[in-house]
Amino acid sequence: MDIDKSIRTGADGNVSAHAPAGSPIEFRLDASSGVPTYLQLVQQVEHALRLGYLKPGDQLPKVRDVVAALAINPNTVLKAYRDLEVKGLAVGRPGQGTFVQATLSQVALPELTTLRRSLSGWLTAADGAGLDEDGIVALFTSALRDFYERRNGSSRTRGGVAAGETAGVA
Amino acid sequence: MNVIEASGLGKRYGSTWALRECTLAIPAGHVAALVGPNGAGKTTLLNMAVGLATPSAGRVTVLGGRPAGSLAALDGIAFVAQDTPMYKNLSAADMLHLTRNLNHRFDQHYAEARLADLGIPLKRKAGRLSGGQQAQLALTLALARHPLLLLLDEPVAMLDPIARHDFMATVLTAMADEGVSVVLSSHVLAELERVADYLIVLSRGQVQVAGEVDDLLASHRMLTGPAGEVARCAGRPVVQLRRGEVQAHMLVRATADNPVPAGWEAHPVGLEELVLAYLREPGAAALPGPTLLRDAEPSGVTQ
Amino acid sequence: MTALSIPARPAEDASLRPVPWRRMGWVTWRQHRFALTGVVVFLGAVAVYVWINGLQLHHAYAAAAACHPATSLACSRLIGEFRVGSFLANGFNLQAVPALIGAFAGAPVLARELETGTFRYAWTQGFGRWRWALAKLVPLAVAVTAAAGAFSALLSWYYQPLFLARNPLTLFPIPSNSLGAGMFDLRGVAFAAWTLAAFAIGALAGMLIRRVVSAMAVTLAAYAGLAFATGLYLRLHYLPPEVARNSFSFFVSDPARPVVVVSQWWTKGGTTVSPSAMNQVINSTFQRMMPVVHSSKEGAVAALKQPTNLHVLHFLTQHGYTQWTSYQQASRFWPIQWIEGGWLFALAVLLMAATVWLVRRRAA
Repeated sequence: MDIDKSIRTGADGNVSAHAPAGSPIEFRLDASSGVPTYLQLVQQVEHALRLGYLKPGDQLPKVRDVVAALAINPNTVLKAYRDLEVKGLAVGRPGQGTFVQATLSQVALPELTTLRRSLSGWLTAADGAGLDEDGIVALFTSALRDFYERRNGSSRTRGGVAAGETAGVA
Repeated sequence: MNVIEASGLGKRYGSTWALRECTLAIPAGHVAALVGPNGAGKTTLLNMAVGLATPSAGRVTVLGGRPAGSLAALDGIAFVAQDTPMYKNLSAADMLHLTRNLNHRFDQHYAEARLADLGIPLKRKAGRLSGGQQAQLALTLALARHPLLLLLDEPVAMLDPIARHDFMATVLTAMADEGVSVVLSSHVLAELERVADYLIVLSRGQVQVAGEVDDLLASHRMLTGPAGEVARCAGRPVVQLRRGEVQAHMLVRATADNPVPAGWEAHPVGLEELVLAYLREPGAAALPGPTLLRDAEPSGVTQ
Repeated sequence: MTALSIPARPAEDASLRPVPWRRMGWVTWRQHRFALTGVVVFLGAVAVYVWINGLQLHHAYAAAAACHPATSLACSRLIGEFRVGSFLANGFNLQAVPALIGAFAGAPVLARELETGTFRYAWTQGFGRWRWALAKLVPLAVAVTAAAGAFSALLSWYYQPLFLARNPLTLFPIPSNSLGAGMFDLRGVAFAAWTLAAFAIGALAGMLIRRVVSAMAVTLAAYAGLAFATGLYLRLHYLPPEVARNSFSFFVSDPARPVVVVSQWWTKGGTTVSPSAMNQVINSTFQRMMPVVHSSKEGAVAALKQPTNLHVLHFLTQHGYTQWTSYQQASRFWPIQWIEGGWLFALAVLLMAATVWLVRRRAA
């Protein structure tokens, strides 16, 4: 059950109320994106972690709040949170909710620069071969999907990197 | 526990079978979507589950073996019929009083708070509420009974998008809060993926697909490849084949592990596309295994 | 939409006892209060009228009865006033009341639920649908029957002066025969019993026909059929009629021993003569015995006709014909009332049981 407000009595005997301790983030749903709902939730959490909206110790939105706002199946939310738990990004505390446990490892800046440079090279080559923007996106998406299917063996875990692992896989 | 179990269920009106050879085991804790064209038998199935119609063949039990229509079944099931029938001359408060008197359990406080939340005045006659408000009132009455199973017959057909969203949000929140199982019949395929985690496709009175959505999506693939090589994939169970001059698409029953023929691409399928494909191919079926143990989860897909 | 949580569900109630019957009391009242108050208001309005008129009637009767001598001019005027006051003399106006109550109170109970689709709500609540039907039909039946019973008690009081056996005012042309079709079903237990039966017919019609207006029409038609069959034939045959020979006094009603004639027929030499043949015989005899009349005045002819009829009949009986009359004595009023009330009550119970059984069994 939600506790909307907590009333605190100060030293001078006055009663004051302060803002609810909810989650820093809100989920949104893009129904036409073709991405499964639970995956969108997972991706939004990872994205929020990457950008710093979420820090370890923050609470993820309560299942019923997500359901009430987005009108999605609660099992979907549970599935997304379980997925995050498996990846080690979140942990559920019974009776309290689900909390962020770790951050996505940041790739070091020099490595990021190197990766970006090699990507630019590839893009130049693709453009030279006659591929337009949509073609590049299609080719990349297909290769990315195949890569992770082969890497993970099944379709259940995609994207994200568990804490402690670096992204230095060629 | 299975919230609805049917074996060989059939219903005949005159000489036409509205539903036949229907065998289902819908597990608890899910939102089960009942999908199919008009006249497919969705309303018939729901009516029999709730005791408004008696089967012509087979039997149906609810909530773990209670006979459909018995007092035990009625106690645990809340049903909202199509067009949300309401006594037009009674006020919303009267409808609350009525429902309270007709049931063992009724949460008056919850019902009043919800109606206040929705801005539905208690004194207004039900006939003067808008379509969306009537639907919400009917849903409030149903949920205030704290049922184990909520049956909804095309509940959002007459609602505008916001009312529809709010309606489904209420249903799903109730599921989140107290674990109500939901079976709803629907036309709106686009919202299925967001809402349903168990799917039943009815076509011409027969069950075509029954299983968990995750299992169904994981066990189907869309193969795209040269039209001339369609015969090479003959070994796989094909649900639907669409071919142009050069290119063909095949919806097959295969998991991600199955090898993809050379020269072909495999894509996962979305729920809406899957349902449409089955609806267009009445001969295809994806049904759970032959055993119907009371506490077993259906395996999802078999040959 | 703000978040609103439902408190956790209480533990399952292991015993599946039904919801208490008395809960339906409010439900039945709230859903049918217009029908019930309509019946009460309608009967009440007529009752007020009957009461006022009845007081006048009783007063006029007392005045006329106390007047001596009975044939004086002053007393004749009082008798005339008494006659005028009895506007319900034939009672035919009120015959429709049980039918109307049955149609308007009985038919919509189930027909409206089925027509508007609200049965999909009512029959899926925890109360259970056949118990719901029973809990509606029985109190409504009792209520309309009680209202009808009270109303007919008032009517009985109203008609009292017309049925006093020791009525010396034999000049009354008002039919004072308590078994007469117009009067019988307004008094005693018949009115209430007919109302109950009409309600039961209405309820069953509503369940079978599933449309309010059609069910009302069918109820009225069925009731009319039953009422006519009973009034014209059945009622006079509950108890075997008595038979009299050559009793010509039946042509003029004897106030001391009022009867209702069931049938009359003639026999000659042990075999029944057909009515048409008998008519010919009577006519030819009449022609032979009729004195020649030159006056064209209607009154003169009528005055001559009456004794001539008797002469004709006496003549025939002395020539081998026997006239038979079967009849019921008005003194059998109460036994016949109880018999009629009894079978109507049984019919009503049967019809309502059939209705509830249909609710329980039939698919919607």
